[in-house]
Amino acid sequence: MTQSPTRGGGISIRNVTKIYDPDGAKVLAVDNCSLEIADGEFCVIVGPSGCGKTTLLNAVAGFHSITSGTIDLDGRAICTSQHTQEPSAERIVVFQNGALFPWYTVLENITYGPEVQGRMNRREAAAKARELLAELGLAQIAERYPGEISSGMRRRVEIARALINDPKVLLLDEPFRAMDALTKGVVQEFLLRALDKVRKTVLFITHDLEEALFLGDKVIVMSTRPARVKQTIAVDFARPRTYRVRSSNRYLELKQQVFDAVHEEARKAFDAGEREMA
Amino acid sequence: MNVTKLQKALFSKTLLRGCLSVGALILAWELGRRLKVPGFAAVPAPTEVWNVLAASIAEPKFWEHWRASFTRVLSGFVAAQLIGVPLGLIMAMGRAFYLTTFPLLEIMRPIPPLAWVPASIIFWPTTESSIAFVIFLGAFFTVVINVIGSARNIDVRYVRAAQSLGSRPSDIFFRIILPAVLPGVFIGMAVGMGITWEVVVAAEMIAGKSGLGYLTWSSYVGGNYPQIIIGMISIGVAGYVSSSLIRLLGRYVTPWQRTS
Repeated sequence: MTQSPTRGGGISIRNVTKIYDPDGAKVLAVDNCSLEIADGEFCVIVGPSGCGKTTLLNAVAGFHSITSGTIDLDGRAICTSQHTQEPSAERIVVFQNGALFPWYTVLENITYGPEVQGRMNRREAAAKARELLAELGLAQIAERYPGEISSGMRRRVEIARALINDPKVLLLDEPFRAMDALTKGVVQEFLLRALDKVRKTVLFITHDLEEALFLGDKVIVMSTRPARVKQTIAVDFARPRTYRVRSSNRYLELKQQVFDAVHEEARKAFDAGEREMA
Repeated sequence: MNVTKLQKALFSKTLLRGCLSVGALILAWELGRRLKVPGFAAVPAPTEVWNVLAASIAEPKFWEHWRASFTRVLSGFVAAQLIGVPLGLIMAMGRAFYLTTFPLLEIMRPIPPLAWVPASIIFWPTTESSIAFVIFLGAFFTVVINVIGSARNIDVRYVRAAQSLGSRPSDIFFRIILPAVLPGVFIGMAVGMGITWEVVVAAEMIAGKSGLGYLTWSSYVGGNYPQIIIGMISIGVAGYVSSSLIRLLGRYVTPWQRTS
């Protein structure tokens, strides 16, 4: 499974519970959720909308606290009920609607991380960024602003912006949502190719079951809110993968499994919604 | 490349259409005068105005009025930016400070700048400083409100992405919040510039001894009707030039805005 050595990045989520309490109305978002992601493993979480997947990812990122439980990175607690370690470049997040800084060019977006971390000066960072852009086939858009390039390009740049920092963990929160199927396929392959070069631990959230199977080593199906692990499905396709994986028999089998699990939860979420309305 | 751009701009349909409306107004005005449309009897015809204008622009005194107004506008406007932008940022970032100061701001804001003129004259030692203060107020509130608005509307994703890329708080401020509010600052500037010209002219009419507002009003008092029109046109042109300069500066400072 591992082509190149990683620099750690194993995540252990143990008995994590998160209760939101905005104005006295307690909402249980994540309920006693446990899961393990090994060094360099690509873990995909799927589950109904609003089930608490993003809450879990944000806790790993360090954006908010948890109510109880522990999240470890390489055996070191980064998030407990008492303490949340500040967000840092060892856990980089790629957001749902993209968060390239519109005021910086593609190149400046990519050099942002190395510069603010003080790892490189502007010159070195720019050289490294150009190298990376060339490697990823994005050299021609280095001087453009995010507003000038297509959404598919923007996602690729955002992945590059994360990778240049050599993070231990990549956290992707439905990064390819609302993209047309063709662009999505291209960007997914882009992500796989990039990760074939530098293996990273990945936590990837999606609604798209096909995407989950195509990208992941492991697909975790979450229950409807509060989020609990319902089922873990190992995806054993060899890497590097291409889109042809999708027409194999094994793929159809796994798809059926994941679909069954998710459909049941989606049904429950839907019924719960109906009850709330009535 | 730039020369062809300039040529294109000069001979473009856009410019032609812009000139069309100005030409049509002058034509209608001249016709109204010649056909003796009621109300036009005392209004000088464009040709008369043109003759007086030709004489005026040769006189240094005329340009002295321009200079006086421009200096006032610029100083009040710059002061409003220098105080308003940081204040708006602090108000947007500090919740306690915001809650303390916002009600005061909202009470002061609806008071028209011109309502400040009497109090300003009493308070400030010279007429010039009281005019400058009123001009400052005209731009100040718009600037503050725009900065607060755009600072509060910064998408939390940008801040989180920046944190996750390893930013220190100072990076978040200088590399995320400042560029994110810049477009809003320029909108505030453009609106503020318009208000500033309104205010300077009115203030000069009330209390000035120079400037384009004074020129217009004193021409009326002195019965020099063509010069009233010249004063008005000067104010219009001066305002147009000022807001064009702001737009140009804005395009230069926020190049990414051209695209999205």
